[in-house]
Amino acid sequence: MSDEALRSTELRKIYRSKGAPAVTALAGVSMDVRRGERVALLGRNGAGKTTFLRIASTLLRPTSGSIEVFGFDVDRTPEKVRPFIAVVPQEGKPFFHLTPREQVYTYLRARGFGRETARSRTEESLERMGLTEFGDRLSITLSGGQRQRTMVATVIATEAPLLFLDEPTIGMDPFARRGVWDSLRTLTQRGSTILLTTHYLDEADALADRLYIVERGEVLVSGSAEDLKRAVGGTLKVSMPQGAGEIERFRSFGTCVADGAGLTVIVAPERLGELMALAVGSRLTATVGPVTLEEAFLYVVGRSIDAD
Amino acid sequence: MRTDRVVIPRPFGGLSAFLWTEFLVQIHEELAMATSMIVQGVLLVFVWVLNPSLIGVALLGAVVFSMFTMGQRVLNEAAYVRIDHKASDLYLASPLTPEAYFLGMSAGVLLVYLPPVVAVAVLAELVVHLTVGVALLLLGVSVAVWISAASIGYVLSTQFRDNRAIWAYSSLFFNVFGVLPPVFYPIGLFPSELRPIVLLMPPSAAAALLQRAIGSATLPAWEVALAAIGLAVEALALFLLAVVWARRTVRSN
Repeated sequence: MSDEALRSTELRKIYRSKGAPAVTALAGVSMDVRRGERVALLGRNGAGKTTFLRIASTLLRPTSGSIEVFGFDVDRTPEKVRPFIAVVPQEGKPFFHLTPREQVYTYLRARGFGRETARSRTEESLERMGLTEFGDRLSITLSGGQRQRTMVATVIATEAPLLFLDEPTIGMDPFARRGVWDSLRTLTQRGSTILLTTHYLDEADALADRLYIVERGEVLVSGSAEDLKRAVGGTLKVSMPQGAGEIERFRSFGTCVADGAGLTVIVAPERLGELMALAVGSRLTATVGPVTLEEAFLYVVGRSIDAD
Repeated sequence: MRTDRVVIPRPFGGLSAFLWTEFLVQIHEELAMATSMIVQGVLLVFVWVLNPSLIGVALLGAVVFSMFTMGQRVLNEAAYVRIDHKASDLYLASPLTPEAYFLGMSAGVLLVYLPPVVAVAVLAELVVHLTVGVALLLLGVSVAVWISAASIGYVLSTQFRDNRAIWAYSSLFFNVFGVLPPVFYPIGLFPSELRPIVLLMPPSAAAALLQRAIGSATLPAWEVALAAIGLAVEALALFLLAVVWARRTVRSN
């Protein structure tokens, strides 16, 4: 058996509809996810993340290329893939007229779990998602965040070997999001593999072993969050609220981003002292902090947009 | 779960569990259940006022119509779950088989909305005094109409992208084919040259067979054969179509 949970090679998807120009959602995506990894797919709206997840989860046919899950061809043998996967769809909602407890339990039963296993996993999953006290309320009476937690609870209860989560924490409060992160870490410790999309870069930073940044259907970069931050040219950023006018003096230190009157310079730690001396000499107020994944993301994707 | 051992779900795998899921979903729709017999009730009152001698025909027609409109409920539910909730992705990207999803949803809807239909059937028995043979015929044609309608409903549900369009079209489709043909009134009142057409429609074919069985309609042997064989073949063909369709449409292109 393959050590990879998922491998795609030159995966392409072109949407065609009558009277409208063809849209290339995936333009040859090659990626791999190893067993037990947590991998995040990042990208702007419409970058192709959901299309990739839908193809990988047997719900959409690719135009060309190949994709395998645990060594099984997703396009040719989807019925062999489905027992190994579970999906939190983007903007998915639980049945409004089921309680979270009923939703999780009946879903596990529909997947073939026995009564006892389904019952115990339901309780465990509800507890992990902080839903125990709402477990017997119809989902229609729950908040949007609680419904989203119900969807995640439904899927993590399966402990499927490969979980696809399309923006799993959207609409959740910070406590609930961290609850999901903890649960996903526990699941990978138990042997599951996770591929998720998110627009919360702090989430990807905290959770993902590896990241793929997708832009207009292509993988721009991949690697760990730290790899990505390093790719920006440094791991520290110096912010100068009145520094935009002095941008040319700072270009030699690294990436410079002017925003209104302000200037942010990405700098390697070994050149920080030199840069700060120049800032002080220029009578500029400067604050130093670590480069965030969001800044690295904006830099990488922004550079790609600028290149076009 | 081991990933070196493939267990392909058996056909209709997960059916009973998903049927139970859908039953639980539907049982909370008290308002929909309460209003499920309004059209039938109104038509029965009209028939009772205008020509009480036809009430037996209308009662049997109400049972047939009710089974036919189960298809409308399947259409609405399948589309709502897919378009609005996107919960179909949750279930279809899993070991639950697509045919079990279709049939479980249809049977769950049936179970919840069946009791008032049974009540109308009991009323029909009290009015018409059904023989065992007619009762069995009623059961048989009801099942055939339900299978046909649920299959049509599920297949149609996959063709829509907007729920607002569905409400109008599904209501139009199921009411036109369930009310205009001779379902609530004797087939003898329908233009004879158009009878072969309505005898090929599941609800009016079922109603015609029932009307003949209780002596309210006279059909030549070929029309009886057309209605009976047509109904059976259509039910089987539509069911197989829905199963194949359910499997094919799991994945969009």
